[in-house]
Order: sequence, then structure tokens, then C-alpha cells
Amino acid sequence: MAEENVTFTLPDLGEGLVEATVLEWQVSVGDVVERNAPLVEVETTKSAVVIPSPKAGRIVELHAQEDQVVPVGDPLVTFAVQAQEQQAGIVGRVPTEEARPARRVRLKPPSD
Amino acid sequence: MSANLVGDVTMRYADLHPQSPAEAAPVLLLHGFGTDFGMNWQAAGWPQLLGAAGLRVIGPDLRGHGASGKPADDTAYLPERFTSDLVALLDELGVERVDAVGYSMGSRLAWELALTRPERVRRLVLGGFGPVNAFDGTDLSALGEGTTPFDQVFRTVAALPGNDPAALAACARGQAARPFSAEPPVAVPTLLVTGAKDEIATGAAELAAAVDGAHVEVPGRDHVNAVSSRLFKQAVLDFLTS
Repeated sequence: MAEENVTFTLPDLGEGLVEATVLEWQVSVGDVVERNAPLVEVETTKSAVVIPSPKAGRIVELHAQEDQVVPVGDPLVTFAVQAQEQQAGIVGRVPTEEARPARRVRLKPPSD
Repeated sequence: MSANLVGDVTMRYADLHPQSPAEAAPVLLLHGFGTDFGMNWQAAGWPQLLGAAGLRVIGPDLRGHGASGKPADDTAYLPERFTSDLVALLDELGVERVDAVGYSMGSRLAWELALTRPERVRRLVLGGFGPVNAFDGTDLSALGEGTTPFDQVFRTVAALPGNDPAALAACARGQAARPFSAEPPVAVPTLLVTGAKDEIATGAAELAAAVDGAHVEVPGRDHVNAVSSRLFKQAVLDFLTS
């Protein structure tokens, strides 16, 4: 099955933290990791955290060196994962746009 | 996570992998001052690691912390009050003996538990801890206003969401009322682990020698970031499963 590359960004670690320092990678390029396996150890201003892998896949690229400060939302790691054959409603894809409560605004009055 | 009443203060705790083999001692994880089980241990990846090794993990939020009760009087935080909570928790869970693993203040309390209730502690791990007075030079009536290392710690944790600065101040004074002493020494097998740059845990090697225990130093790490290190975890796992 074909692979596709997926990049994982530094998640919001909560409480208004805007960045984290990479302490130690727990994986290397080429490693095949399971979902939820330890991925990277980072330090915020408040605590030390081990971020689990959000995916099962092969590590293609680490985007930050150890001791590097990474802003929330910046690329952290790129995985090669098995490409999904169907795109609709697959596991692991979060439909963030649709999840937001949508307020419907009628821009034009009904014509009748 | 589940909650129950231990004595007069509600204690919130995690009891993970309770079906683990009976021959292995459950691991009691005791967090540091101003944090809680989730922040100190869970976020740092400990329950997952210990669970994968077949170990049951018991992780309380100590009184004054996390989702546990937060009394406001100093005497509620004497070390013996914490150990009473812990013994009551083990009784509640029907656990005879644990491997007690502490970090910072949690180590102080793990030591107290091993010293006063040695029949309940199989092995002892003291992380981020040394035999020094953590409150040295600190004005206990104006916590967080001075410049000592503890003042700095206090400022940081008092600002964390969910923390109650008044309860934490009472906790600090309760702890300070019983200065740590390495005498008498604990009589259970003991491992100390500290970051090489941890200035709060000076003297750990000497304390290890005094209790005929082992000391592992984590290169390049300080008091905040030693707890999540792989080397620290592996040292503890080796110590508990050897």
C-alpha cells in the first residue's frame, strides 16, 4: 500500500504555554513507532513532558534539534503512514472544521 | 482516576493496572510540591512505562494538591499527616507493601513512610532529593516574596491553574516544621536519582552512601526536567525489577 507523509506539529500543552524546549528525542529517523509510544521529551516553563506518538508510522524527519525551542504549532516530526484508500470518515482524521458549532446565518430572505 | 475519603481530607488517586501480577509490588508514585500526580508523573510518561513492565501504579494527589482536599492550617501538612493518608490509602486498596517512588517533596514523604512504616515499603526511590533544608533562608511568613530557590519554586507553582496558594503556603510551613534528618536512616533498599544540575537536591550522593543505597546522576538535567528522563526511568525500573 502507498505511504503518505504526515507532519505532526507541537501541540498546545495547556495553560497558555506558547513554546517548549526539546530535551531528548525518544525516536530516530527510520524508526517504526506505534501510536502512543514515547515520541519526544520536552520541557515547558512549568514541567517536563513526554509527548506520545499521535500515529503509527515510520519517522521520516525530526524538525527540531535537542535543546531547540519550538513554538506551539511548528513542525515537530514527519511520519510516513500507510495511505488510506478512503478519505471519508477514516479513523485518526479529526474533522476540525465540521466539529465547530456552526452558526447558520441567512444572508438573504427566502424568496417566497 | 477515582476518589475516596481518607480520614478528614478527600484524596484523589489513580490506581492503574490493578490486575498486575501479585508477586510484583505496586509502585506508589509521590509527586513534588505544587504539582500533582498527572503533572509530575503521568505527563512525564511514568505510568505507561511501569504498566508496560507489568507493575501496578498507585498515584495520589497529596493533600493540598491536585484534586485532593486542601486544608488551610499548617498542622494539616506535617509529614506524619501525609504518611497517615498514604497508609489509609494502601489499607483502602488492600495493598500490603509498595515500592515508594518520590520526587522532591514526594521523596521526603516516601522517606518518612519507609522510616515510620517499614513494613509497608519494599523499596524506596528518592528522586530530586538531597539531605538539605529546602527552606534555608526562606521567610515562611512571606513565601514567594524572597529570592531563595524555594521562593522561586513557590512563585512558579502558586501561579499554576488549580493550585491554592494559601494551602501551598500552609503545606510549606507544615513541612518546614519537621526539618529533614538523615538520622535515623531508613532500613529499606534505597535508590537516589538526581539531575546533575539539580541545585535543590545537593548531597544526594552522600545520603545514598549513608543508607547504603545507590545514586544515579542524570547528566545535563535540573530539578524540573530530570523527572521525565529516560535514564531516570530506566534506573528506577532496573532497581524495582532486579
